Amino acid sequence: MRSERHPTEDLPAYGLGSLDETEREIIAAHVERCAQCTGDLAQFEDALYEAAAVGAVEIEPPRDLRTRIVLRHRGARSLGGPTWTSRIAQAFIHPVPLAVPAVLALLLVVSFAVVGMNRQQIDTYERALAGVASGRVVALAPTSANPDARAAVVIPDQGQPYLVVRLPPPPSGKTWEAWVLKPGPKAVAAGTSTAGDVFVLLLTTPLGAGDGVAITLEPVAGSQQPTTQPVLLVDRT
Amino acid sequence: MPDKADDVRLVERIADGDAEALGELYDRYGRVAFGVLYRMLPGPEAAEEVAQDAFHAIWRQAHSYRADRGSVRTWLLAICRNAAIDWRRTRGKRTEREVTIEAAADLVSDARVDERVVSLIRAEHVRAVVRELPVEQRQVLALAFWGGYTQSEIAARTNTPLGTVKSRVRLAMNKLRERLEEER
Repeated sequence: MRSERHPTEDLPAYGLGSLDETEREIIAAHVERCAQCTGDLAQFEDALYEAAAVGAVEIEPPRDLRTRIVLRHRGARSLGGPTWTSRIAQAFIHPVPLAVPAVLALLLVVSFAVVGMNRQQIDTYERALAGVASGRVVALAPTSANPDARAAVVIPDQGQPYLVVRLPPPPSGKTWEAWVLKPGPKAVAAGTSTAGDVFVLLLTTPLGAGDGVAITLEPVAGSQQPTTQPVLLVDRT
Repeated sequence: MPDKADDVRLVERIADGDAEALGELYDRYGRVAFGVLYRMLPGPEAAEEVAQDAFHAIWRQAHSYRADRGSVRTWLLAICRNAAIDWRRTRGKRTEREVTIEAAADLVSDARVDERVVSLIRAEHVRAVVRELPVEQRQVLALAFWGGYTQSEIAARTNTPLGTVKSRVRLAMNKLRERLEEER
Protein backbone atom coordinates (compact mmCIF):
# COMPACT_ATOMS: atom_id res chain seq x y z
CA MET A 1 0.00 0.00 0.00
CA ARG A 2 2.97 2.35 0.26
CA SER A 3 2.82 3.70 -3.27
CA GLU A 4 -0.77 2.88 -4.27
CA ARG A 5 -3.13 5.80 -4.52
CA HIS A 6 -6.51 5.64 -2.87
CA PRO A 7 -9.36 5.69 -5.42
CA THR A 8 -10.93 8.73 -3.79
CA GLU A 9 -12.60 9.85 -7.00
CA ASP A 10 -14.28 6.58 -7.82
CA LEU A 11 -15.04 5.21 -4.36
CA PRO A 12 -18.44 6.97 -4.09
CA ALA A 13 -19.53 5.51 -7.44
CA TYR A 14 -18.28 2.10 -6.35
CA GLY A 15 -20.46 2.36 -3.24
CA LEU A 16 -23.40 3.29 -5.44
CA GLY A 17 -22.70 0.31 -7.69
CA SER A 18 -22.53 2.48 -10.80
CA LEU A 19 -19.05 1.67 -12.10
CA ASP A 20 -18.48 -0.40 -15.20
CA GLU A 21 -17.18 -3.91 -14.58
CA THR A 22 -13.49 -3.21 -15.21
CA GLU A 23 -13.44 -0.16 -12.95
CA ARG A 24 -15.40 -2.08 -10.32
CA GLU A 25 -12.87 -4.90 -10.22
CA ILE A 26 -9.95 -2.50 -9.79
CA ILE A 27 -11.60 -0.68 -6.89
CA ALA A 28 -12.74 -3.95 -5.30
CA ALA A 29 -9.18 -5.25 -5.30
CA HIS A 30 -7.93 -2.06 -3.66
CA VAL A 31 -10.67 -1.97 -1.02
CA GLU A 32 -9.95 -5.57 -0.12
CA ARG A 33 -6.50 -4.62 1.15
CA CYS A 34 -7.02 -1.03 2.29
CA ALA A 35 -8.50 -0.42 5.73
CA GLN A 36 -8.97 3.30 5.10
CA CYS A 37 -11.00 2.78 1.94
CA THR A 38 -12.94 -0.02 3.60
CA GLY A 39 -13.98 2.42 6.31
CA ASP A 40 -14.82 5.17 3.82
CA LEU A 41 -16.83 2.77 1.71
CA ALA A 42 -18.80 1.60 4.74
CA GLN A 43 -19.80 5.22 5.44
CA PHE A 44 -20.86 5.83 1.83
CA GLU A 45 -22.95 2.68 1.80
CA ASP A 46 -24.50 3.21 5.22
CA ALA A 47 -25.63 6.70 4.14
CA LEU A 48 -26.93 5.46 0.78
CA TYR A 49 -28.88 2.51 2.13
CA GLU A 50 -30.35 4.56 4.94
CA ALA A 51 -31.72 6.85 2.24
CA ALA A 52 -32.94 3.81 0.32
CA ALA A 53 -34.81 2.61 3.41
CA VAL A 54 -36.60 5.95 3.33
CA GLY A 55 -37.26 5.47 -0.38
CA ALA A 56 -38.74 1.98 -0.10
CA VAL A 57 -42.35 1.49 -1.10
CA GLU A 58 -44.70 1.11 1.84
CA ILE A 59 -46.17 -2.32 1.30
CA GLU A 60 -46.91 -5.35 3.40
CA PRO A 61 -45.10 -8.52 2.21
CA PRO A 62 -47.19 -11.67 1.73
CA ARG A 63 -48.16 -13.09 5.11
CA ASP A 64 -46.58 -16.48 4.55
CA LEU A 65 -43.29 -15.18 3.12
CA ARG A 66 -41.52 -15.42 6.48
CA THR A 67 -42.72 -18.99 6.99
CA ARG A 68 -41.49 -20.03 3.57
CA ILE A 69 -38.09 -18.45 4.09
CA VAL A 70 -37.60 -20.13 7.46
CA LEU A 71 -38.96 -23.48 6.27
CA ARG A 72 -36.58 -23.51 3.36
CA HIS A 73 -33.60 -23.26 5.69
CA ARG A 74 -34.70 -25.16 8.76
CA GLY A 75 -32.28 -28.04 9.18
CA ALA A 76 -30.01 -26.88 6.37
CA ARG A 77 -26.59 -25.60 7.27
CA SER A 78 -25.26 -22.22 6.30
CA LEU A 79 -22.11 -22.47 4.21
CA GLY A 80 -19.73 -21.35 6.95
CA GLY A 81 -19.57 -24.49 9.05
CA PRO A 82 -16.95 -27.16 8.63
CA THR A 83 -19.33 -30.09 9.00
CA TRP A 84 -21.15 -29.51 5.76
CA THR A 85 -18.21 -29.88 3.45
CA SER A 86 -16.15 -32.41 5.29
CA ARG A 87 -18.90 -34.87 5.94
CA ILE A 88 -20.52 -34.69 2.54
CA ALA A 89 -17.20 -34.78 0.73
CA GLN A 90 -16.26 -37.92 2.63
CA ALA A 91 -19.57 -39.56 1.92
CA PHE A 92 -19.25 -39.01 -1.79
CA ILE A 93 -15.56 -39.62 -2.17
CA HIS A 94 -15.62 -42.90 -0.23
CA PRO A 95 -19.12 -44.30 -0.58
CA VAL A 96 -19.67 -47.73 0.94
CA PRO A 97 -21.58 -50.64 -0.60
CA LEU A 98 -25.26 -50.80 0.05
CA ALA A 99 -26.35 -51.97 3.46
CA VAL A 100 -29.96 -51.97 2.39
CA PRO A 101 -31.13 -53.20 -1.01
CA ALA A 102 -32.01 -50.38 -3.28
CA VAL A 103 -35.72 -50.46 -3.72
CA LEU A 104 -37.34 -48.66 -6.53
CA ALA A 105 -38.89 -45.46 -5.51
CA LEU A 106 -42.36 -45.46 -4.23
CA LEU A 107 -43.63 -42.61 -6.21
CA LEU A 108 -46.48 -40.81 -4.79
CA VAL A 109 -48.10 -37.71 -5.64
CA VAL A 110 -49.51 -36.04 -7.53
CA SER A 111 -52.62 -34.35 -7.02
CA PHE A 112 -50.64 -31.35 -8.05
CA ALA A 113 -48.69 -32.76 -10.96
CA VAL A 114 -50.80 -30.92 -13.44
CA VAL A 115 -48.82 -27.78 -13.07
CA GLY A 116 -46.45 -26.79 -15.79
CA MET A 117 -45.15 -23.33 -15.23
CA ASN A 118 -42.18 -22.72 -13.00
CA ARG A 119 -44.01 -20.21 -10.82
CA GLN A 120 -46.80 -22.68 -10.26
CA GLN A 121 -44.26 -25.33 -9.34
CA ILE A 122 -42.80 -23.03 -6.73
CA ASP A 123 -46.24 -22.37 -5.29
CA THR A 124 -47.12 -26.06 -5.32
CA TYR A 125 -43.91 -26.99 -3.58
CA GLU A 126 -44.38 -24.37 -0.90
CA ARG A 127 -48.03 -25.23 -0.38
CA ALA A 128 -47.11 -28.91 -0.03
CA LEU A 129 -44.67 -28.08 2.75
CA ALA A 130 -46.94 -25.55 4.40
CA GLY A 131 -49.60 -28.24 4.52
CA VAL A 132 -47.54 -30.64 6.62
CA ALA A 133 -49.73 -31.11 9.66
CA SER A 134 -47.32 -32.59 12.19
CA GLY A 135 -43.72 -33.63 12.49
CA ARG A 136 -40.50 -31.93 11.46
CA VAL A 137 -39.57 -30.44 8.08
CA VAL A 138 -35.87 -30.21 7.26
CA ALA A 139 -34.79 -28.42 4.10
CA LEU A 140 -32.08 -29.78 1.81
CA ALA A 141 -29.72 -27.17 0.39
CA PRO A 142 -29.38 -26.93 -3.40
CA THR A 143 -25.85 -27.14 -4.77
CA SER A 144 -24.33 -25.32 -7.70
CA ALA A 145 -25.36 -28.25 -9.91
CA ASN A 146 -28.96 -27.01 -9.81
CA PRO A 147 -29.48 -23.87 -7.72
CA ASP A 148 -33.22 -23.84 -8.46
CA ALA A 149 -33.78 -27.32 -7.04
CA ARG A 150 -35.72 -27.61 -3.80
CA ALA A 151 -36.39 -30.49 -1.43
CA ALA A 152 -37.27 -31.03 2.19
CA VAL A 153 -37.41 -34.12 4.36
CA VAL A 154 -40.69 -34.49 6.19
CA ILE A 155 -40.31 -36.54 9.36
CA PRO A 156 -43.86 -37.24 10.54
CA ASP A 157 -44.68 -37.91 14.19
CA GLN A 158 -45.83 -41.32 13.02
CA GLY A 159 -44.91 -43.18 9.88
CA GLN A 160 -42.19 -43.16 7.32
CA PRO A 161 -40.11 -40.07 6.48
CA TYR A 162 -40.45 -38.78 2.94
CA LEU A 163 -39.04 -36.12 0.65
CA VAL A 164 -41.00 -33.35 -1.04
CA VAL A 165 -38.92 -32.52 -4.10
CA ARG A 166 -38.95 -29.89 -6.83
CA LEU A 167 -36.65 -30.98 -9.65
CA PRO A 168 -37.01 -31.22 -13.42
CA PRO A 169 -37.59 -34.70 -14.88
CA PRO A 170 -34.28 -36.60 -15.09
CA PRO A 171 -32.74 -37.11 -18.56
CA SER A 172 -33.67 -40.27 -20.43
CA GLY A 173 -32.06 -43.35 -18.86
CA LYS A 174 -31.49 -41.56 -15.56
CA THR A 175 -33.25 -41.32 -12.22
CA TRP A 176 -33.15 -39.15 -9.13
CA GLU A 177 -31.86 -41.23 -6.25
CA ALA A 178 -32.16 -40.40 -2.56
CA TRP A 179 -29.44 -41.31 -0.06
CA VAL A 180 -29.43 -41.48 3.70
CA LEU A 181 -26.05 -40.34 5.01
CA LYS A 182 -25.10 -42.42 8.03
CA PRO A 183 -22.26 -41.58 10.44
CA GLY A 184 -19.00 -42.98 9.33
CA PRO A 185 -19.71 -41.62 6.82
CA LYS A 186 -21.59 -43.88 4.48
CA ALA A 187 -24.32 -43.21 1.95
CA VAL A 188 -27.20 -45.68 1.86
CA ALA A 189 -29.57 -45.78 -1.10
CA ALA A 190 -33.06 -44.69 -0.07
CA GLY A 191 -35.22 -44.71 -3.17
CA THR A 192 -35.39 -43.48 -6.75
CA SER A 193 -37.79 -41.47 -8.84
CA THR A 194 -38.04 -40.64 -12.51
CA ALA A 195 -40.71 -38.04 -11.82
CA GLY A 196 -40.20 -34.36 -12.39
CA ASP A 197 -41.64 -31.01 -11.31
CA VAL A 198 -42.99 -31.48 -7.78
CA PHE A 199 -43.09 -35.00 -6.39
CA VAL A 200 -42.87 -37.03 -3.21
CA LEU A 201 -40.31 -39.74 -2.57
CA LEU A 202 -40.69 -42.11 0.37
CA LEU A 203 -37.38 -42.89 2.05
CA THR A 204 -36.91 -46.63 1.90
CA THR A 205 -34.02 -46.58 4.38
CA PRO A 206 -34.67 -45.77 8.05
CA LEU A 207 -33.61 -42.28 8.98
CA GLY A 208 -31.73 -42.21 12.26
CA ALA A 209 -31.27 -39.19 14.51
CA GLY A 210 -28.71 -36.88 12.96
CA ASP A 211 -28.52 -38.74 9.63
CA GLY A 212 -28.09 -36.64 6.51
CA VAL A 213 -30.00 -36.89 3.23
CA ALA A 214 -28.87 -36.24 -0.33
CA ILE A 215 -30.23 -36.59 -3.86
CA THR A 216 -28.07 -37.46 -6.87
CA LEU A 217 -28.66 -38.24 -10.55
CA GLU A 218 -28.04 -41.95 -11.25
CA PRO A 219 -28.63 -44.58 -13.98
CA VAL A 220 -32.31 -45.48 -14.20
CA ALA A 221 -31.95 -48.73 -12.22
CA GLY A 222 -30.37 -46.89 -9.35
CA SER A 223 -26.86 -47.23 -8.01
CA GLN A 224 -25.39 -49.07 -5.07
CA GLN A 225 -23.33 -46.04 -4.26
CA PRO A 226 -23.48 -42.41 -5.46
CA THR A 227 -21.79 -41.89 -8.79
CA THR A 228 -22.40 -38.13 -9.11
CA GLN A 229 -22.22 -35.13 -6.82
CA PRO A 230 -25.49 -34.32 -5.01
CA VAL A 231 -27.93 -31.79 -6.39
CA LEU A 232 -29.53 -31.38 -2.97
CA LEU A 233 -28.33 -32.31 0.49
CA VAL A 234 -28.51 -31.73 4.19
CA ASP A 235 -25.82 -33.20 6.39
CA ARG A 236 -27.98 -33.56 9.49
CA THR A 237 -31.73 -33.97 9.98
CA MET B 1 -34.88 0.60 16.11
CA PRO B 2 -32.90 -2.66 16.11
CA ASP B 3 -29.74 -2.66 18.17
CA LYS B 4 -26.67 -3.02 15.93
CA ALA B 5 -24.97 -5.48 18.25
CA ASP B 6 -28.15 -7.60 18.29
CA ASP B 7 -28.17 -7.52 14.50
CA VAL B 8 -24.60 -8.82 14.39
CA ARG B 9 -25.44 -11.61 16.85
CA LEU B 10 -28.38 -12.60 14.64
CA VAL B 11 -26.10 -12.86 11.62
CA GLU B 12 -23.66 -14.97 13.64
CA ARG B 13 -26.50 -17.33 14.56
CA ILE B 14 -27.50 -17.55 10.91
CA ALA B 15 -23.91 -18.41 10.02
CA ASP B 16 -24.18 -21.24 12.55
CA GLY B 17 -27.18 -22.64 10.67
CA ASP B 18 -29.98 -21.24 12.85
CA ALA B 19 -33.00 -20.81 10.59
CA GLU B 20 -35.02 -19.18 13.40
CA ALA B 21 -32.43 -16.39 13.50
CA LEU B 22 -33.08 -15.87 9.79
CA GLY B 23 -36.75 -15.47 10.68
CA GLU B 24 -35.88 -12.91 13.35
CA LEU B 25 -33.77 -10.96 10.87
CA TYR B 26 -36.75 -11.07 8.51
CA ASP B 27 -38.96 -9.68 11.32
CA ARG B 28 -36.64 -6.70 11.56
CA TYR B 29 -35.91 -5.97 7.93
CA GLY B 30 -38.26 -8.08 5.80
CA ARG B 31 -40.78 -5.31 5.30
CA VAL B 32 -38.29 -2.65 4.21
CA ALA B 33 -36.45 -5.22 2.05
CA PHE B 34 -39.72 -6.09 0.35
CA GLY B 35 -40.43 -2.38 -0.13
CA VAL B 36 -37.05 -1.88 -1.80
CA LEU B 37 -37.61 -4.88 -4.07
CA TYR B 38 -41.12 -3.78 -4.90
CA ARG B 39 -39.77 -0.44 -6.07
CA MET B 40 -37.09 -2.05 -8.22
CA LEU B 41 -39.15 -4.81 -9.80
CA PRO B 42 -42.21 -4.87 -12.04
CA GLY B 43 -44.69 -6.36 -9.57
CA PRO B 44 -45.37 -8.14 -6.29
CA GLU B 45 -44.71 -11.62 -7.68
CA ALA B 46 -41.22 -10.69 -8.78
CA ALA B 47 -40.57 -8.96 -5.45
CA GLU B 48 -41.71 -12.07 -3.60
CA GLU B 49 -39.54 -14.37 -5.68
CA VAL B 50 -36.46 -12.17 -5.34
CA ALA B 51 -37.06 -11.69 -1.59
CA GLN B 52 -36.82 -15.46 -1.13
CA ASP B 53 -33.67 -15.61 -3.22
CA ALA B 54 -32.16 -12.69 -1.31
CA PHE B 55 -32.79 -14.28 2.08
CA HIS B 56 -31.27 -17.47 0.77
CA ALA B 57 -28.20 -15.43 -0.24
CA ILE B 58 -28.15 -13.93 3.26
CA TRP B 59 -28.20 -17.46 4.65
CA ARG B 60 -25.30 -18.51 2.44
CA GLN B 61 -23.22 -15.37 2.95
CA ALA B 62 -23.78 -14.86 6.69
CA HIS B 63 -20.37 -16.27 7.58
CA SER B 64 -18.65 -13.63 5.44
CA TYR B 65 -20.43 -10.62 6.97
CA ARG B 66 -17.95 -8.16 8.51
CA ALA B 67 -19.20 -5.44 10.85
CA ASP B 68 -16.32 -3.12 9.89
CA ARG B 69 -17.72 -3.01 6.34
CA GLY B 70 -21.09 -1.57 7.32
CA SER B 71 -24.22 -2.23 9.29
CA VAL B 72 -26.34 -5.36 8.94
CA ARG B 73 -29.09 -3.19 7.47
CA THR B 74 -26.76 -1.97 4.73
CA TRP B 75 -25.43 -5.48 4.06
CA LEU B 76 -28.92 -6.97 3.87
CA LEU B 77 -30.38 -4.26 1.64
CA ALA B 78 -27.34 -4.43 -0.64
CA ILE B 79 -27.91 -8.17 -1.08
CA CYS B 80 -31.58 -7.51 -1.90
CA ARG B 81 -30.70 -4.77 -4.38
CA ASN B 82 -28.09 -6.92 -6.12
CA ALA B 83 -30.58 -9.79 -6.34
CA ALA B 84 -33.11 -7.44 -7.94
CA ILE B 85 -30.56 -6.17 -10.46
CA ASP B 86 -29.62 -9.76 -11.31
CA TRP B 87 -33.27 -10.68 -11.75
CA ARG B 88 -33.85 -7.80 -14.12
CA ARG B 89 -30.77 -8.63 -16.17
CA THR B 90 -31.56 -12.31 -16.49
CA ARG B 91 -35.34 -12.61 -16.17
CA GLY B 92 -36.92 -9.24 -16.63
CA LYS B 93 -38.07 -8.03 -19.98
CA ARG B 94 -36.69 -4.80 -21.30
CA THR B 95 -40.10 -3.18 -21.15
CA GLU B 96 -40.44 -4.10 -17.48
CA ARG B 97 -37.08 -2.55 -16.77
CA GLU B 98 -38.07 0.66 -18.51
CA VAL B 99 -41.30 0.87 -16.55
CA THR B 100 -39.41 0.38 -13.33
CA ILE B 101 -36.94 3.11 -14.16
CA GLU B 102 -39.69 5.56 -14.89
CA ALA B 103 -40.91 4.98 -11.35
CA ALA B 104 -37.45 5.68 -9.93
CA ALA B 105 -37.93 9.41 -9.81
CA ASP B 106 -36.07 10.09 -6.59
CA LEU B 107 -33.90 8.26 -4.11
CA VAL B 108 -36.29 8.92 -1.23
CA SER B 109 -40.07 8.96 -1.16
CA ASP B 110 -42.85 10.36 1.03
CA ALA B 111 -44.15 6.89 1.88
CA ARG B 112 -44.42 6.04 5.55
CA VAL B 113 -41.19 4.43 6.74
CA ASP B 114 -40.91 1.26 8.77
CA GLU B 115 -40.07 2.66 12.20
CA ARG B 116 -38.37 -0.56 13.14
CA VAL B 117 -35.68 0.38 10.62
CA VAL B 118 -35.62 4.20 10.50
CA SER B 119 -37.22 6.48 13.09
CA LEU B 120 -39.68 9.10 11.84
CA ILE B 121 -37.43 11.96 12.91
CA ARG B 122 -34.43 10.42 11.20
CA ALA B 123 -36.46 9.76 8.04
CA GLU B 124 -37.42 13.43 7.87
CA HIS B 125 -33.78 14.36 8.20
CA VAL B 126 -32.76 11.93 5.45
CA ARG B 127 -35.45 13.32 3.13
CA ALA B 128 -34.29 16.86 3.81
CA VAL B 129 -30.67 15.98 3.09
CA VAL B 130 -31.52 14.26 -0.19
CA ARG B 131 -33.81 17.08 -1.29
CA GLU B 132 -31.11 19.64 -0.67
CA LEU B 133 -29.19 18.04 -3.52
CA PRO B 134 -29.52 19.65 -6.97
CA VAL B 135 -32.11 17.86 -9.06
CA GLU B 136 -29.47 16.59 -11.52
CA GLN B 137 -27.59 14.87 -8.69
CA ARG B 138 -30.78 13.34 -7.33
CA GLN B 139 -31.57 12.02 -10.77
CA VAL B 140 -28.26 10.20 -11.18
CA LEU B 141 -28.57 8.72 -7.70
CA ALA B 142 -32.06 7.44 -8.42
CA LEU B 143 -31.15 6.03 -11.84
CA ALA B 144 -28.08 4.30 -10.46
CA PHE B 145 -29.67 3.00 -7.26
CA TRP B 146 -33.18 2.02 -8.27
CA GLY B 147 -32.46 1.47 -11.93
CA GLY B 148 -29.16 -0.34 -11.50
CA TYR B 149 -27.64 1.70 -14.30
CA THR B 150 -23.90 2.33 -14.55
CA GLN B 151 -22.52 5.83 -15.02
CA SER B 152 -21.88 5.10 -18.72
CA GLU B 153 -25.49 3.96 -19.17
CA ILE B 154 -26.80 7.03 -17.39
CA ALA B 155 -24.66 9.27 -19.58
CA ALA B 156 -26.06 7.64 -22.71
CA ARG B 157 -29.60 7.61 -21.41
CA THR B 158 -29.66 11.25 -20.35
CA ASN B 159 -27.47 12.48 -23.18
CA THR B 160 -24.99 13.92 -20.69
CA PRO B 161 -21.18 13.79 -20.92
CA LEU B 162 -19.78 10.91 -18.89
CA GLY B 163 -17.50 13.24 -16.96
CA THR B 164 -20.49 15.28 -15.85
CA VAL B 165 -22.34 12.18 -14.66
CA LYS B 166 -19.29 11.05 -12.69
CA SER B 167 -18.97 14.45 -11.12
CA ARG B 168 -22.65 14.46 -10.10
CA VAL B 169 -22.37 10.99 -8.56
CA ARG B 170 -19.29 11.97 -6.61
CA LEU B 171 -20.75 15.23 -5.30
CA ALA B 172 -24.07 13.62 -4.37
CA MET B 173 -22.52 10.67 -2.56
CA ASN B 174 -20.05 12.86 -0.69
CA LYS B 175 -22.85 15.12 0.44
CA LEU B 176 -25.00 12.20 1.58
CA ARG B 177 -22.15 10.72 3.54
CA GLU B 178 -21.12 14.02 5.08
CA ARG B 179 -24.61 15.03 6.19
CA LEU B 180 -25.89 11.66 7.32
CA GLU B 181 -22.72 10.50 9.03
CA GLU B 182 -22.14 13.70 10.97
CA GLU B 183 -25.42 13.35 12.85
CA ARG B 184 -25.45 9.61 13.25
